[in-house]
Amino acid sequence: MIEPFAVPFMGRALTEIALLALICGPVSVFVFVRRLSFVSDALTHTVFPGVVVGFVAGGMDGLATGALVAGLLTAVVLTVLTRSARLTDDAATAVVLTAMFSIGVVLVSRRTSYTSDLTAFLFGRLLTVTPRQITETVALAVVILIALAIGARALIFRAFDQAGAAAAGLRIGRLDLWLNILLALVVVAAVRAVGTILVVALLIVPAAAARMVTDRLVPMAVIGTGLVLAGGYLGLLLSWTASLHYGIALTSASAVVLMLVLAYLLLLPVRLWRDRRRVPPIALQRKSPHELVG
Amino acid sequence: MTTAALRLDGVSVGYSGTPVVTGVDLELRPGQRLALVGPNGAGKSTLIKSVLGLAEILDGSATVLGHTPARARALTGYVPQTGNLDPDFPVSVRQVVMMGRYRQLGWWRPARAADRAAVREALDRVGLADRADVRFGLLSGGQRQRVLLARAIAAQPKLLLLDEPFNGVDAVSQEAIVRVLRELSAGGTALVLSTHDLAVARDLADLVCLINGRQWAVGTPAETLTAKPLRQTYGRSAIDLADGRMVLVEP
Repeated sequence: MIEPFAVPFMGRALTEIALLALICGPVSVFVFVRRLSFVSDALTHTVFPGVVVGFVAGGMDGLATGALVAGLLTAVVLTVLTRSARLTDDAATAVVLTAMFSIGVVLVSRRTSYTSDLTAFLFGRLLTVTPRQITETVALAVVILIALAIGARALIFRAFDQAGAAAAGLRIGRLDLWLNILLALVVVAAVRAVGTILVVALLIVPAAAARMVTDRLVPMAVIGTGLVLAGGYLGLLLSWTASLHYGIALTSASAVVLMLVLAYLLLLPVRLWRDRRRVPPIALQRKSPHELVG
Repeated sequence: MTTAALRLDGVSVGYSGTPVVTGVDLELRPGQRLALVGPNGAGKSTLIKSVLGLAEILDGSATVLGHTPARARALTGYVPQTGNLDPDFPVSVRQVVMMGRYRQLGWWRPARAADRAAVREALDRVGLADRADVRFGLLSGGQRQRVLLARAIAAQPKLLLLDEPFNGVDAVSQEAIVRVLRELSAGGTALVLSTHDLAVARDLADLVCLINGRQWAVGTPAETLTAKPLRQTYGRSAIDLADGRMVLVEP
């Protein structure tokens, strides 16, 4: 089943997905352990107006710049909000999210090609990925993975035990900003191919699904990458087959995300089974009734 | 004269300018064990955080091993309450203890034999060497607390601060923790631990500091764990038994 990928645009789409898989496997692990799903969601929505403004100003090239500016700005604003806000983080994040998304919709609705533009921004154009876009994704992937490797130790310590990490001398605010900027860069890397809505799936689902089958961080990242790769391959194949043989127009990025979510659902029973298998040893460990309070 | 492990002179601590505890005066020498005793919300955790440079010192002066709290962080260790940690976090016991070595490791350097040996030794001291590969969250509350103690030991601190180390801890783990704490202070490590267990304070501490919003008493357990200061600290939950001992009851 590699024949469809011999067609250049399909080959490029798969390459792009493979690059995103390489990034999103490890990055999603940090989203998972820091419980940043909602922040990622907010980030993808706030990038939207940036994408629109960038596109209006400079076409597909401007789109990435607009996304970059909006993404970095959001990373800073979200870090500040979650650091200092006395009101709950969720409320503050939700306000930023919806406000920015509305601005994006207002901006895009001023254009004559409203519907097709909106679809492209929200769901991406995976099948029109250009060689230049792939080069840019490679560059972003290198930057993101290096930054992640440098910060990994501290980021995991902070995610596991914020007070302990601060006591050990780590600067929590800077680490949070670091991770938020990384997330923004991932959104920038992925937004043209899969759109602002679907990129959030790439940030959340890989690690969440991998967590079903492993308790370890590195395997989580590797399995996460594998799942995006598999989802990308199957999704592209599905949309190709659907449109070519059955005349059904299936957005390829949506098909990819659907495959990813399917993987999550298929792995769900594995987690339940593992959990059930694990109960007896814990009960056996208890040496005294006092331990029940622990 | 040796440098005090911890010296607080008229210290008030709090957050965002609002004091939580005021008027703390005490001095702890290397190898001494200090118990911070007070009811929930008394400000014990805040006082510990201030020694770590994580809560504001609003008044007075604090010296930790001859430095300001923030500058002394490389010499201090911290054992947080396990209850605040996510039991579902995908991390092994060994990885948790290795976090204690991160300061030595920095951002890049991979763990060497010496780091792995320090981790193994720390786990051995708390009696959990055989659980190194188990996921942290699968351990009991008492075992988790011992893992966090091992993490602090792996960093070889000169001053170790423990926030309620016996909360929700079973008898076996409590015994193990007490034994390790005695060994550490015998080796010259100064200890600060918060507790609301008077028996633990009487048994383990050289010095007791009674706090509830302010310092009510500081001194040896015999001086401080008596009727008057305990009633000042705890109000009517402190009850005087006929034999002169004090117990605490829920209000």
